[in-house]
This record gives sequence, structure tokens and C-alpha cells, in this order.
Amino acid sequence: MDDYLVGVLSNIGVISFIALSAYLLLLIGAISFGQQAFFAIGAYAAGIATALWGWPLWLALGWGAAMGGVAAVLVGLPTLRLHGLYFAIATLAFAEMVRLLFEQFRYQVTIDGEPVGPNGTDGFRGIRYIFENDVGPLQFLALIYGLLAVVLAGLMLLERSRLGAAFRMIGEDPTLAALNGIAVARAQLLAAALAGALAGLGGGLYAHLTTYLEPRIFDVMLGVHGLAYGLIGGLGTALGPLIGVLIDIGMLESIRVFAGYRMIIFGGLVAVLLIVRPRGLLDERLVHRIGRACSGLFGRPRPDKNGAERKPA
Amino acid sequence: MVDFVQNTLDGVMTGSSYGLLALGFTLIFGVMRRLNLSYGPSIMIGAYLGTLVYVQLSAGPLVVIAVTLLGAVLAGLYVERLCFAPMAAGAGVASMVSSFAIWMQLEQAAVLALPRHTYPFPPLATGAPLNLGPFLLRVDHLIMLTGALALSACVHLLIYRSHFGLGLRAIINNPVAAHLVGINVRAAIVRAFALASAVGGVAGYLVLAVDQQVTPMFGMWATIKGLIAMMIGGLGSIPGAILGGLLLGVIEAHSQWYFGPHIRDLFAYLALFACLALRPGGLLGEALHEPFERGA
Repeated sequence: MDDYLVGVLSNIGVISFIALSAYLLLLIGAISFGQQAFFAIGAYAAGIATALWGWPLWLALGWGAAMGGVAAVLVGLPTLRLHGLYFAIATLAFAEMVRLLFEQFRYQVTIDGEPVGPNGTDGFRGIRYIFENDVGPLQFLALIYGLLAVVLAGLMLLERSRLGAAFRMIGEDPTLAALNGIAVARAQLLAAALAGALAGLGGGLYAHLTTYLEPRIFDVMLGVHGLAYGLIGGLGTALGPLIGVLIDIGMLESIRVFAGYRMIIFGGLVAVLLIVRPRGLLDERLVHRIGRACSGLFGRPRPDKNGAERKPA
Repeated sequence: MVDFVQNTLDGVMTGSSYGLLALGFTLIFGVMRRLNLSYGPSIMIGAYLGTLVYVQLSAGPLVVIAVTLLGAVLAGLYVERLCFAPMAAGAGVASMVSSFAIWMQLEQAAVLALPRHTYPFPPLATGAPLNLGPFLLRVDHLIMLTGALALSACVHLLIYRSHFGLGLRAIINNPVAAHLVGINVRAAIVRAFALASAVGGVAGYLVLAVDQQVTPMFGMWATIKGLIAMMIGGLGSIPGAILGGLLLGVIEAHSQWYFGPHIRDLFAYLALFACLALRPGGLLGEALHEPFERGA
């Protein structure tokens, strides 16, 4: 594989984490403009862990994910009870605060005669773990997709579980969910924590992929793109957000013909798509239909799971 | 003490433009119950057309303001057509994301049309600032403040004292009932959108005439400032929009003076976050109780 392709695929894999993070919150009916904050927190935490403290990569990635999750809980506590629109704006405000704080954040240690660590707006250079430990680009790509596969499998299992059904029920109608005996606040907080951890994990991978972090990468655009991917790809399955990422980064950003017109095409595409399919390409109805067709082909027919199905728009 | 008063005055002046931006925002939100993220970028399109006639044809200020307004209204209607009109009732999230997508589109279109990073914008008034005892007041700032107050009063009268406003308020209350009593809901919404874009266009013109330059980033700036001011003041409230804008301006002026520009933005977001967490309805608004229109 040539380097360019490996780079594009790595990017797609890493950005998928933030798309899945926003998707998880969409399941419970929360629109977040701020998942890039947890991505940034994970990226800085994991980068500091390997570059400054000399931790092994796996531990640093876990640390980044944990920090993302903890931060998400702390923000979730005062904001998750808010009405959807207010929640969206609160997450936006929080994420911008995080970005501006990273612009002030200085924490440098001299390693081999050179200062290493976050240096305000100048960014955080020298996250050289994968060079120092001879991890090739292909190996790192395998790591990204390995983790992504685990996360996807986890999310798909989650969606088939009682908890997943509870998430979707809260997304549909929190009052009804509460009346059905679901601890709404706790489930929301759990979803936010998982989403924060996912974004944090993606951030840790991102830090080691690019070896260089700059606060302005983590601006609103990143978060809103992450949110849009799920809505383009579809809210029926965790594969939906990945389709969104593929369309944007895989096609429009990477194919040079579109250079300069990427946003015009992407913007128009999203707008038209949302008119035709307000819940994305792979919406709940389509996923359900495919699921039924598959079970008809490969096994005995299963009864409808109407409890977990959403009414189409 | 002199510094404190001077900062407050400066804050009020800048804040008046935030208030105008919030006014247009709150009009769209009040009627549609949806967030139009493309609000700022459509103002930016108007401003780009304004700077185009200024640079190419060296047009006078009146022509520039007319072109800016017209451009903002046309871009606003384009957004309405694509992101709001075709969406079913209840697809508020789809509208919001789609308006974000159109934001990207408008920004890229502006960059493609005028590729330099900044373009000059005609100044509103040049001349020495007025001396008021120990305090300085810029003439263009005063025009901005007066314009903001006058325009918000006009919008208030239009909403609460005119036939058109009565219809709009009926639609806000209950679109179906408004339709049943013979109000043309679609036409009223389009007019409200055009009005909001025009108010935004005036705000954009005033801000850019003070800055004397326009960049593609102006769209994002206008959306964010308008959004914060609207949220602080209270969704759907006209006096709230102006109050929120003034408050944001004063907070920014003081934090800039004491801590510098980076911390200024931090304080603006902190004020927004605190406001949302403690008093989600904003200062003069009422918190919404119905769940925000969910996707399906």
C-alpha cells in the first residue's frame, strides 16, 4: 500500500471514533457539538503519557480514554438534564473552553536536551512513540482498525442488549422511558461517559498518528463534522457513522479532483440527503429490513422486535 | 475607575452589535423553534457582495449597505429553502445539521469567489473620537449603538403592533391553528426569515464598517456571537437579545482589559456555560419545556 493510502485510511479510522462518540449520544437523543473536547483531552493525556512520562502505548491510550470518560461525566452532570437545544449549545461552550484552555496549557519537560510537551498555541510537538518503538505506519493502521473493530462489535452488542433498548427509548421519549422503569439520568450519564471515552481513545490514537497536536485542530468544525457523519450515514446502526466518514474523508477530502470544491459538494450533499432521508442513509427502517431479510436467508425467521424499532420519520 | 467606565462604555458599544446579531437569530428561532447555524455565513455572503461593489465599482456607503442587505436576505432565503422549508415538522435536528452543511458551502463559495484572506470594507464614519470628560467615544460606535436600539425598537413594534406580527405570534403559538384561521403560514415564515436576515445584514454591515475589513471567518464569528448573546438574554425574547448582547460586550471588554484576548473568549464561553447550567432559559426568556424536536 502506498503511504498516501495508508495515511487516508488511518485518518478515516481515527475520525470514526469521534463520529461514533457523537452517534452514541444521538441514540439517547442528545445532540453534542462538543465531542471534539474529549477527543482533545484524550489526545493530550495520551501524548503526555508516552512522550513525557514514558508510559507504554496501550496504557497511554487507556489513560486518554479514561480521562475523556471522566471529563464527559463531569460535564454531563450539570448539562444532561438540559433541554436538547440548550445541551447542544452547552457542549459547544464547553468544547470551546477546553480548546482555549489548551491554548494556555504549558507543561514541558526537557528530554535529551530538548523541551517536550504542550506549549500553548505553539502546540505539542514530539509525540514520537511510534518512531522510537519502530511501529510502522501499517502496524499502526492495524492497531487503529483493530480497536475500531472492537469498539464496533461492542456497540453492536450494546444495541442488541437491554441497555441499548433503554438508550433508544430515552432518545425517543425520556418521560416514557422513565415510566417504564428506566433510570433515565443514570443511563444518560453512562452513555455520555462511554461517548467521552470513545472520543478520548480516538484522540490518543490521533496524537500518536500525527505526532503533533495544536489546540486549533479541536475547534467546532471537528465536532460538528463528527455529528454530521452519523446523520448522513444513518442512525439505525453503528455502521452508519462510518459511512459518513467514508463519504467525507474517503471521497471528498482525499480525491484531488474535488479540491477546493469539497465543502460545496459535501454541504449540498448533506442538505439534499437530509431532505430525502432525515435519519441518514442507514436509518432504523432500512437496518430492520436488512436484518429481517438476512435472518430469512440464513436462518429461521425471527419474530419482529417491535420494542426496539423506531417509527420511521 | 476611569478605565473601568471606559471599558464598560466600549463593551456596551460592541455589545450593541452582538445584540443585533442575536435579534435576527432569536426571530428565526422564535418562529421556527429551530437553530439556523447558517445565519452568520449568510450575513457574510451579503458582506462579500458589499465589499465586491465597494472594491470593483467604488460604490458609496448607501449602495454598499443596500447590496449587503440584499445579499444577506437572498442567502438567508436560500438557507430557508434548502434547510427549513422541506423538513417535516419535528425534524429540527435535520434542519440544524443541514444548515451547518450549507454554512460550509457558503464559506467555501466566498473563498472561491474572493480568494484573498481579507478585503476592505468602507468605514462608517472617520474622524476623531468624541471627548466626554475623561472618556472617549468613537463616532461609528455611537452610530452602531443608536442603530441597534432603533432597529430593535422597530422589530419590537413590528412583532407586537402590526398585522404581520400578530400572524407571526399566532404561528409561534400554534401553527395549525394559525393556518386554520387563514394565516398563510409558509409566506409568513419566509417573510420572518427575510426580516431576520435583513436585521443580521444591518448588524454585519455595522460591525464590518467599524472593523473596515471582512474575512471568510466573519460567518462563524457572527453565528457564535449571536448565539451566545441570544442564549444569555433568553431565547425568543427581543429585549433579551439586546440585553444579552450588551452583557456579552461588557464581559468581553473587561476580561480583555484585565487578561488579554485569549482569556476574553474563555470568559464569554464561561458566561454562556454558567448561564445554561444555572438558568437555561436565559435572563429574560422562559425555559422550554417540551423536548427539543427529536429526529422522528
